[in-house]
Amino acid sequence: MRSLAAVGLASALLVAACGGGAATPSANPASASATVAAPKPDIKIGLATAKSGAANFYNPQQSNGALLAVEQINAAGGIAGAKLQLIVEDDGSVRDQGITAFKKFIEQDKVVAILGPTLSAVAAGAHPVAQTAGVPVIAISNTGLGIVGTCPYGPCDWIFRASLGEQSAVPETVKAATQKLGLKKVVIIYGDGKFELDDLSIFKEAFKANGVTVSKEIAYTAKDVDFAPFVTQAKGETPDAIVASSLAGAAGKILDEVAKQMPGKRVIGGNGLNSASLLPNANAGLMVVGTAWSKASTDKTNTDFVAAYKTKFGTDPDQFAAQSYTAMIVLADALKRSGNPTDHAAVKKALEGVSSLATPLGAFSFTADHDVKQPTFVMTVKDGQFTPFQ
Amino acid sequence: MDAVLDFFRTYSTTIAIIGVSALLALSVWLTLYAGQLTLGNAAFMGVGAYVSALLGRHLDTPFPVALFLGAVSAAVLALPLGAIVFRLRGVYLAIATLAFGEIVRVILLATPITGKGQGLNGIPPKTELWHIYLSLAIVAYVLWRVQGSTIGRAWAAIREDEIASASQGIAVGRHKLAAFVIGALIAGWAGGLSAHVTFSIDPSDFGFAKAVQVLVFAVVGGIPNVLGPILGAGLFTALPELLRPLKDYRDIFQGTILLLVIIYLPRGLVTFVEVRRTRQLSRIGAADVA
Amino acid sequence: MAEQLYNAVFIGSIYALFALGFALVFSVLDILNLAHPTVFMLGAFIALFVIGTLGLPWFVALPIAVLVTGLFGIALDRVAFAPLRRRGAPALSSMISSLAVTLIVVRLVELRYGGDFITFPAGAVPAFVFRVGDATFEGIRLAIVVLTIALMVVLTYVLRRTQLGRDLRALAENPRAARLLGVNVDRAIAATFFVSSALGGLAGVLLAFAYNTLDSKMGVPLELRAFTVMVVGGMGSLPGAVIGAYILGFGEVASLVYLPTELRDAFAFGLLFLVLVLRPTGLLGQKSRDRV
Repeated sequence: MRSLAAVGLASALLVAACGGGAATPSANPASASATVAAPKPDIKIGLATAKSGAANFYNPQQSNGALLAVEQINAAGGIAGAKLQLIVEDDGSVRDQGITAFKKFIEQDKVVAILGPTLSAVAAGAHPVAQTAGVPVIAISNTGLGIVGTCPYGPCDWIFRASLGEQSAVPETVKAATQKLGLKKVVIIYGDGKFELDDLSIFKEAFKANGVTVSKEIAYTAKDVDFAPFVTQAKGETPDAIVASSLAGAAGKILDEVAKQMPGKRVIGGNGLNSASLLPNANAGLMVVGTAWSKASTDKTNTDFVAAYKTKFGTDPDQFAAQSYTAMIVLADALKRSGNPTDHAAVKKALEGVSSLATPLGAFSFTADHDVKQPTFVMTVKDGQFTPFQ
Repeated sequence: MDAVLDFFRTYSTTIAIIGVSALLALSVWLTLYAGQLTLGNAAFMGVGAYVSALLGRHLDTPFPVALFLGAVSAAVLALPLGAIVFRLRGVYLAIATLAFGEIVRVILLATPITGKGQGLNGIPPKTELWHIYLSLAIVAYVLWRVQGSTIGRAWAAIREDEIASASQGIAVGRHKLAAFVIGALIAGWAGGLSAHVTFSIDPSDFGFAKAVQVLVFAVVGGIPNVLGPILGAGLFTALPELLRPLKDYRDIFQGTILLLVIIYLPRGLVTFVEVRRTRQLSRIGAADVA
Repeated sequence: MAEQLYNAVFIGSIYALFALGFALVFSVLDILNLAHPTVFMLGAFIALFVIGTLGLPWFVALPIAVLVTGLFGIALDRVAFAPLRRRGAPALSSMISSLAVTLIVVRLVELRYGGDFITFPAGAVPAFVFRVGDATFEGIRLAIVVLTIALMVVLTYVLRRTQLGRDLRALAENPRAARLLGVNVDRAIAATFFVSSALGGLAGVLLAFAYNTLDSKMGVPLELRAFTVMVVGGMGSLPGAVIGAYILGFGEVASLVYLPTELRDAFAFGLLFLVLVLRPTGLLGQKSRDRV
């Protein structure tokens, strides 16, 4: 009995490998009919995420969010009986590996859609690959400029974004902070990476729009260890608040220095401060940051998600998990409505039609530019949790 | 068979990067052959990358011309470097070249036209695999022939004993500078090629980590033979992809392999190619130098 | 202004503390130990383990971390450097083998603790603070400054006045001659690595305490600074390394105050380059060494 199945499987694989592989990387009907039993073939989705390298702190949350969603969807019957199969590859936080991961998904695994990669710098190389191949991509943690809409490499209509862009979040943060803190003058401390530099330009524009003067911009590099001199420099300008256009590690040190040197002043930040690792920081209460997700949100979709995540993984989810989870259920919704869940063009069209879908991030839609439309939650930290900023 | 084609299409970028890494390793090999330790070639690669990409973008320069100008820019930048660091040797020289490289990188970071820290994105993927491998074949062949030539023997002599070479009438300074400049030329050419493979470049691609990586390729591959750097580049670029199934343990295996090779293979990976010669040299204790 | 001065002193002390161990190995064995940032990081994580997992107080964690990293240093030598030394391999090979060890150890730490930065359990880290007028001084930062200078004095004394120091200097001059003269070379080398790594681990713990956080990549920014520090101060000279560190620290803060921000980084390397070209032996270095 078993040898028969083995022979059947082997011949199916042989047929799929030699006969079925036409130019279009869609699922192969020949292999489906050659298998012995007939469950519907899995719908394959690729996830490129940073499990090693400089951005490896995004995991395991980023992978876990997507895995949880896939599990739940499959348990509920999948997409018209076909199960979702999530293939996870490490992008190593570097462009080359991100590109290879995408190519593997497209050429070897023949996925219907891809989530990721983690960093915008890696996406700069990986997304064009999917664009050229005509495979839909949902960016789950790229928040910088040029990811969707107008992209530096030409048309990018196959790329969608589920992670709230800094262009949307920062103006909300600045508006709230200016109003509630009565800001007139600020100083921006910024790092030398792509994320920090993108954030800098977005912050500057937002402050200008709100009539706040940016009296100084102080740069630090990835090699700087101590942040006391930078805050001391900033202090000299007597600003009403400090703006940290940074990633979490540097932000933590900036928070500590501001608490020490400029008591009473707050630190406004972008998505880099949106990290669970900053919660234990004694001075986290100083921060004001616009986030895509609030754990405290009482939407049922969110409370269910938080509970399910905690049950499966033993810890609370963070924003990265919430975003990858959301992207997955958005994709599943599109797959269901597409009519042909293995056809790239149909899935792309269905994604464009996503409208007010209930997700842990709130009501989710895509704009005409394929960017996410969702509310921004302006938050601070209290008692070790992110709480709405008042 | 389609499975083979799919495999090839998946790993085309990796194969391209192997070729570029091999070129870079050869550029370092050349200076090592002349006895000079350099950590600056990552910066020269960066110069070639930026110059060729910017020329293409702003002046619509045809691809081969842009590559050529990128390489030449790198070589020109190597001239003052070479002249200045003549008096240094060994580790000091390495650190001086590293410092030079970092200065170049910081300038790239500060110049607006390069896109600064945000990097240059949307570079058209003009490089074909045959560009890379043809360049590699030509460079490898030329360097192989150079070994037996006058200038090659001068370099080898300088490597063995600078003072003796000088007393033999070899213009040590000029030969050393030549090694640097040609090395920079190759690195700049490789940089231009690589910029047009991965759609985007930024200054952090050309820093200390890259410089060390390239040095590892050359040394681990093996100095005595032109094939060495190519083997080193091939193995260590392919390794992360080969080790994918190991998932979280990739780096540990990579480190272990590197450690084993450097400790147990004095002549590098070339040992596997020149098995008999290595055995002979080991017997007389000259495995590291020849 | 005074505050920036104090900042500069503190930064200089961090660099000095880190560079001391690095410079020690180089001065005795002519090896650039690229695994030094790793022992730095390891010290911090051992302290975290002792405090977080074993629940012991910080003043127990500190000496344990220092001791364990010292022992690790000896193991590091046995695995990565000694085989190359026996073979007479060039210094370049040692650099690469230490790099390999770094890859492995960092990954192992990440497998246990993840790649993100971690904060010490609340209240675990000493936080003495005292105010003088308008300014706030943290005890731990002052301790770092004082300790660095004290260690430099102690180390210099050990090298000049004790038997061990004489053995090490003989070893640095000429290993073969040293052995012929009766120096227990193996023991001297082990001592070198123990002290160097213990210093690195100490620096790591103290810095982790100062910032109340640590992560697997914390040694990386300091590594490049260490090159500059050693070269400026004089490779092979411990007081030189310390002085070089303070010069770098002051220079960095000064360039922050006076120069356009993008060129700040260029300052460190420009300084390095200039020193190498004009005075390769650095400020206090003895002689330049020929090595490939």
